[in-house]
Amino acid sequence: MRKLLSIVSFLIASSAAMAQGAHDFKLNEVFVLGCPKQCTAVDDSGYVSPAIAESCPKPEFYVDEYAQPASWIEIENTSYSTHDIRNCFLTINPAVLDKNMSAPEREKLMSVIPAGDPRTSIGAKQRITFFADGHTNRGTLHLNFTLPVGEPFTIYLFDGNAVDLLDSVRVEALPVGSSYARLDEGKWQVLEADKVTPNAPNVTYNNDKIKEFKEKDPHGIAMTLMCMGVVFSCLILLFVFFHIFGWAMNRAAKLARVRAIRAIHEKAERVVEMAKQGTTETKGIEMENYAAVIGMALHEYFGGTHDLESGILTINQTPTTWADKSHELRVTPQHHQAN
Amino acid sequence: MVLLESVSTMDFIGTKLVDFLTYTGFANVAWANIIMIAVGAFFIWLAIKKDFEPLLLIPIGLGIILGNIPFKDAGLEIGLYEDNSVLNIFYQGVRLGWYPPLVFLGIGAMTDFSALIANPKLMLIGAAAQFGIFGAYMVALALGFEPNQAAGIAIIGGADGPTAIFLSSKLSPNLMGAIAVCAYSYMALVPVIQPGIMKLLTTKAQRQIKMKPARQVSQTEKMLFPIVGLLITTFIVPSGLPLLGMLFFGNLLKESTKTTRLAKTAGSALNDIVVMLLGLTVGCSTQASEFLTWNTIFIFIIGACAFVVATASGVIFVHIMNLFLPKDQKINPLIGNAGVSAVPMAARISQNEGLKADPHNFLLMHAMGPNVAGVIGSAVAAGVLLGFLS
Repeated sequence: MRKLLSIVSFLIASSAAMAQGAHDFKLNEVFVLGCPKQCTAVDDSGYVSPAIAESCPKPEFYVDEYAQPASWIEIENTSYSTHDIRNCFLTINPAVLDKNMSAPEREKLMSVIPAGDPRTSIGAKQRITFFADGHTNRGTLHLNFTLPVGEPFTIYLFDGNAVDLLDSVRVEALPVGSSYARLDEGKWQVLEADKVTPNAPNVTYNNDKIKEFKEKDPHGIAMTLMCMGVVFSCLILLFVFFHIFGWAMNRAAKLARVRAIRAIHEKAERVVEMAKQGTTETKGIEMENYAAVIGMALHEYFGGTHDLESGILTINQTPTTWADKSHELRVTPQHHQAN
Repeated sequence: MVLLESVSTMDFIGTKLVDFLTYTGFANVAWANIIMIAVGAFFIWLAIKKDFEPLLLIPIGLGIILGNIPFKDAGLEIGLYEDNSVLNIFYQGVRLGWYPPLVFLGIGAMTDFSALIANPKLMLIGAAAQFGIFGAYMVALALGFEPNQAAGIAIIGGADGPTAIFLSSKLSPNLMGAIAVCAYSYMALVPVIQPGIMKLLTTKAQRQIKMKPARQVSQTEKMLFPIVGLLITTFIVPSGLPLLGMLFFGNLLKESTKTTRLAKTAGSALNDIVVMLLGLTVGCSTQASEFLTWNTIFIFIIGACAFVVATASGVIFVHIMNLFLPKDQKINPLIGNAGVSAVPMAARISQNEGLKADPHNFLLMHAMGPNVAGVIGSAVAAGVLLGFLS
């Protein structure tokens, strides 16, 4: 039973840990590669022909390992620990939301993030960018679909079981060169071409706390008051708890002692009563033992109990008979005379 | 022909020997290295001759010498700050802050909180002594340090080496070597610093106050303390989790009565190993180029102020408490100094000073209360500073 309980708890703990890791992945930024209408350099898959692109305006695009610009989807690990996004799924096909669809059927409609590539392990607060170019043969970071240009769509990020939806975002038709990015508190906003941040944070985080303390508390008085307040709060709470608990423990111990003494007294009273009545019924116990028990009970009853002690240790000499030196000596030392 | 060959061999040997000489310490030594080696030797002398915290000062002293052996910077992977060197691997425990929690595990496994549980009001003395930290914070700000650096330096006032290393590694890593050496040095000098302040702030009659013996604490209370302590402190200050969690974990190992073997290992072998590595690498981190700066001098000055303020605030707080306590429950102010978390040195000083005032007054067990409360208090203070500034 114990083993079973341990295994169940371990499984619950580990499944919670896995889920926690996956749920920390959030879609972070989306970019759709498009060109002005007069430009024909981009084909349906978003591929830009370098030769024809010469005639196009040249905005700066984030390019893949083949130096090709493409639409991309950035995912952030929002936690403070490293998680691997392998085996998760990305898609823009809304059919996957059909709850009656089985997981294998749903998997067929999505692009899986392959295992076996160290790049899919994303560090704390780090990002990974996938190219939506339809060329999965180009590597782990390439998806099997493209993002539609000039029309809205929704991106879905599914967990490795193809059932749990981790995150989704609806993207409206974006201006050329712009991206759609998640900013503070999960709000999404269109970023202009010069503010697009592939593989980089959408918001620059500064440690403003230090600056704020420097400006508003230059002498450290506020810090002292706040910190000492917290330190005192912690220790006062502990003090209160153990003060009350100590009192309760003392009280419980005293009650237990009183109960024990009362029980002895009651027993002794019963025995005294029996002795007074001259009862000779010993219920099978030998008379000598019975008499000894009565004697012991009477002794305790008439002052032999030692359940309440002063608890004081002293080195002051106090006259007690047990410490009497005369008890350690023979009353009259005798000589052993040789025969 | 043979002669020519032997001449060329001699040339080769000569060139190599000259090359070798450029690698030796003699060729690379600077005055700063000599000074730091002398400082390391002084620490070792203090530990052996004066018996000042030998368990800390010997590893630190030798570490200072080790860290200041001059050598040619030729990528030999031997220096503390060189990637993949053995010393660098040991140093990760300091840099990433995982030695301090392990030391706290050992402290927890060795500490008996009975004195504190028996007389919980002594916890407040441990809290009051943390004024040393914030007094030092204000001084550090006045000397021009940034708030995060000031916090790293100020924690010296908690008189807790592992906490100082933990916090400075997070908030001001560039000052960590100086802060750690300063914290441990002053902890070793507690017997020199504290008695004068204690005498200054107390009268003879106050020093002779006899405190009631503490009540017997049940095993249930002892077992409950680490659990309740952990819950209360870490719910209020989660940023203190690494230190407080390990402290109370170690204590639970000890008090649960079922894991005596683990408690024994945590409090002896494991703790000794971590202290050795911690001391050695902290000492090594004081390389002359990093250590011999004005900042280090300021840190030592602030550290001294912090210890004085911490000791004084503990003693003064006892005076304040005595104003409200009935006559038969007065606290001897000599245990106020023990609010700093130098366990058990500070409590030992209370005991010694108490015996000087009255040879029949034994304060050690009473002083252990604020002393262990100081450990909790300084860890909480470190957590709060980390929460505010990281």
